[in-house]
Amino acid sequence: MTASRIRSAGTAQATAKAHIGRLSLHNFRNFQRAECEFPPAGVAIIGPNGAGKTNLLEAIYYLEIFRSFRQARDRELVRFGQRVFRVEAEIRGEAAGVESLAAAYDRGGRKKVEVDGEEVERFSDAIGTLGAVVFSLDDVEIIRGSPGGRRRFLNILLSLVEPGYVDALQRYRNFLSQRNEALKGEADPAMIDAWTEGLVEKGARVMEARHRWIRGQADAFARYGEEISGEGPGRMRYDPSVDWPEGMTPGREEAGPGQPDESGADGSAETSDSVADGDGTGRWRSREERRERAERWAERFRRALSENAERERRREVTVVGPHRDDIEFRARVADDEQRDLRKYGSGGQQRTAALALRLVEADTLAGRLGRDPIYLLDDVFAELDRDRSRRVLHLLDEGRSGQVILAAPKAADIELRGGLERWTIRDGRIEPDADGTA
Amino acid sequence: MSAIDDLMQEFGRLPGIGKKTARRLTYYLLKQPPGDVRQLAGAVERVADEVEACSNCGNLSDEDPCGYCRDDRRDPSVVCVVEEASDIAAIEKSGHYDGLYHVLGGRLSPLDGVGPDDLNVAGLAERLRDEVEEMIIATNPSVEGEATATYLQKLVDQIDEEIQITRLARGLPVGGDLEYADGVTIAEAFSGRREM
Repeated sequence: MTASRIRSAGTAQATAKAHIGRLSLHNFRNFQRAECEFPPAGVAIIGPNGAGKTNLLEAIYYLEIFRSFRQARDRELVRFGQRVFRVEAEIRGEAAGVESLAAAYDRGGRKKVEVDGEEVERFSDAIGTLGAVVFSLDDVEIIRGSPGGRRRFLNILLSLVEPGYVDALQRYRNFLSQRNEALKGEADPAMIDAWTEGLVEKGARVMEARHRWIRGQADAFARYGEEISGEGPGRMRYDPSVDWPEGMTPGREEAGPGQPDESGADGSAETSDSVADGDGTGRWRSREERRERAERWAERFRRALSENAERERRREVTVVGPHRDDIEFRARVADDEQRDLRKYGSGGQQRTAALALRLVEADTLAGRLGRDPIYLLDDVFAELDRDRSRRVLHLLDEGRSGQVILAAPKAADIELRGGLERWTIRDGRIEPDADGTA
Repeated sequence: MSAIDDLMQEFGRLPGIGKKTARRLTYYLLKQPPGDVRQLAGAVERVADEVEACSNCGNLSDEDPCGYCRDDRRDPSVVCVVEEASDIAAIEKSGHYDGLYHVLGGRLSPLDGVGPDDLNVAGLAERLRDEVEEMIIATNPSVEGEATATYLQKLVDQIDEEIQITRLARGLPVGGDLEYADGVTIAEAFSGRREM
């Protein structure tokens, strides 16, 4: 890696290679103290179940969202019998933006995040700095599990790439819980109304962002699915709990000026700005359009709330809103027949959709970062047949340059980035080169 | 319980004061001349005996109506609604406002069991029937403060839709560096920008 190469101004190059250099873990899960130095291209980490493969990836991704991607509580991440865990990484290479990231958590409840050695006040200012995406076997649950899992997927991703999303969502949730409380018992209509406008305003912001992302990535999602499975394209679309605003439709018919950029489908990071923006027509124009679209969602949301007023009072809870959103995944099974993958998809179809979803996530991150993200692959090839594995490998390699940290129970022929170095992991100990390089 | 323990316990009940500070304050007082300590006790006693909520605006004062309500140099056509009496002090310090005040005594929060009846809302409605032309809502920009503002806006519209209702602007703190402002504040400042 030539550290002295001049960074290109303006356009981010697909060759930019930000990567994790040194990583150190202290009392994280089953790691007492572990330190390793990752090669820029990445590494394949081989070890038996329970050795700590997923824990390692969890620790790395902790530096992306400052939470566990497995939805574990922070205190569950502290090694048994200990009080504090710490994860620290040095980031190297071009377009990295920062040199080091660290996170520590104390069982007492205190959490600390450091960027370049300085503690940040708000975690939301630091999330997404690492730039990483996790592919895990559990991803299939996003497709076949409850709508809550799909909303969680959207929330994490949009928190990473959409300015203002975290705040809108947080405030939406606060308005929602206050409003639900106001709905309990003999509710005073004026007291319910007091929370409605804030709920609608923040909720519309959330809906607009979710819709814009899904709409902008739907084609790429379909293409990836087709490439992985060799079957007809799957479809992804926004499934809101309120009626569609006039003129907005769930599908492709909406194409026209202001249609989001579909670039990124080819896996390149060159068109990054337009991907992040979700709009190929330029930032300033799309900002106006976003506000206008949010206003239309707000109008629908407001109407849905008033139409459901009776039901709300009966059930004593807010029954419509982005907290009831979903993403719909479909596959074409015949020319005129589609199947809802969430309920009726085969295992293979659901896994394909999950992989396609992570690939569009990676493209979205690339757009935001101006470089390829770091790929954390947790045993993703285990349940794929040989053909699908080969095609996924191809998609992960072609046009993508991000560092790959791959974990698998046994060494297989995993040809990525021109051959990854092979390490072993056992009982929370990582041993570079123990097995020789691939 | 000894007198010393007693005092320490009382100090410990104050906001922001832990055991250690309570002990320090207690032993500090023990070293002072008795006259000074009695002066403190007297001040505390007077606050308890003499300060009351103003029957007009809800401000805490030892006069009723309070000094602001009695001051005929202030503009009675404008009422600024705040959550707490302590907010008045902050606004007064700016020297920028010369209307009247109305103290709600909190903000709406169903989760904390606070409804309109727990706030000085009825008093506000009563006052608005007089000569008020503008109501400035200065509740905090928190979720609860916003909802309280919405509630008041709807209430006042029902009473008299001629009354102008305004809300304090949000944005960058003066003297603060743009570089250090958080994203949300900057976004607010942008959407609330003004023509020059």
